[in-house]
Amino acid sequence: MPDISELKHRIKSIQDTHQITKAMELISITKMRKAVAKQSFSSVYFDSVRYTLKDIMRHSSDVRNRYTVHRPSNRTAYIVVAGDKGLAGAFNNNVLNLAWEHMQRRPVHYVVTIGQMARAFFESREQQIDLEFTHAITNPTLHDARGIMRDILELYDRNLMDEVYVVFTRMHSTTVHEPVMVKLLPIEEKDIEVDVKSTFNGEICYDPSPREVLDVLVPQYLVGMIYSTLIHSSASEHAARMMAMSNANKNAEKMLDALNLEYNRLRQGAITTELFDLSSGRIFSENNSK
Amino acid sequence: MDAFFLEIITPEKTFFRGRVESLDIPALGGACTILAGHQPMVFATEPGSIYLTIDGQRREAFMSEGFIEVRPDETIVFSQAVEWPEEINERRAKEAKERAEEQLRRNRSAAEYRLNRMALQRAFARLRVKHHNNLNND
Repeated sequence: MPDISELKHRIKSIQDTHQITKAMELISITKMRKAVAKQSFSSVYFDSVRYTLKDIMRHSSDVRNRYTVHRPSNRTAYIVVAGDKGLAGAFNNNVLNLAWEHMQRRPVHYVVTIGQMARAFFESREQQIDLEFTHAITNPTLHDARGIMRDILELYDRNLMDEVYVVFTRMHSTTVHEPVMVKLLPIEEKDIEVDVKSTFNGEICYDPSPREVLDVLVPQYLVGMIYSTLIHSSASEHAARMMAMSNANKNAEKMLDALNLEYNRLRQGAITTELFDLSSGRIFSENNSK
Repeated sequence: MDAFFLEIITPEKTFFRGRVESLDIPALGGACTILAGHQPMVFATEPGSIYLTIDGQRREAFMSEGFIEVRPDETIVFSQAVEWPEEINERRAKEAKERAEEQLRRNRSAAEYRLNRMALQRAFARLRVKHHNNLNND
């Protein structure tokens, strides 16, 4: 039988943990909402960028930019986006394992990590990390996305890599998010996902030329892609944490119920024993004084 | 004068939505004016000033690099940043200008040169828009 003070101590510690997980759940809910709202602001803009880019690539197949040309070999760079913190269920593991599996099939690869957990994962597997971005995932901004794009393009321009993939978690809804891998460079028409339908289907002229419009669009497209992966990842992280924490809350409540029952039973038992001792002591002393 | 529907969108917000009579843009191929009934077209632009004519009133705004889509039903401007003169932070633009000039002097690689030239162009355009409109107010 456990000691009553030990039990009391346990209840207290579970209550403390419960309080923390409850707070974390609430924080995750608000952070997730914020990320989703941000996504909807920027999506109008970047959807149109994608649409126009796709339109140019489809109609003028001779127009080429150095970021749309396929390079012969397959040195691959992976940008892996994970969270800064754990305690989010299988969120980090899912996305990191997907990246890891794909990497094993490529002889030459570079790893770019975004988020502390991604770095820790590759360090523990003795995979060298070539470039690392910190603080981008907690609160993704366009400024971060531009910085990441610049650095990646610089490496790409120096002809160090032939393909760039982004591995991140896409959020479909609060409860459904899956790790996905998207090709960032070289840009191919079939990789561009377009959700918007243009209201105009006729032929559009490009000024000064499709080529120059493409040159302007490509960096914007890349910024948009990186920004949206960051936002999706951060929203999924918070959603995953929210679910993990609500499970933790439920478990804590269940444990508290069981422990409280046990505690009350023990306390009642102690009182009964005490009463019994008192009364028997009294009977004994009364018998003696006679 | 005929008006057409114009929408100006940046990644952060919808900057403008409404009917205008004309729109002057700093296109890569040279400055252009878009009037109602323009042929469908996509323009790439460089950082500079745009002028909107709304009910006969001409207003200037700063526009960063971007592109402009002219469709029969509406014209949409996409840019990383669009600002009215009163929204421009003069001190920040000045600092950006000095920084870009300093960086240009050092000039390490071709990519950096392009980047800094763009930054300088943006800073100049912002300051120009700000100054034009300060003079008008005095």
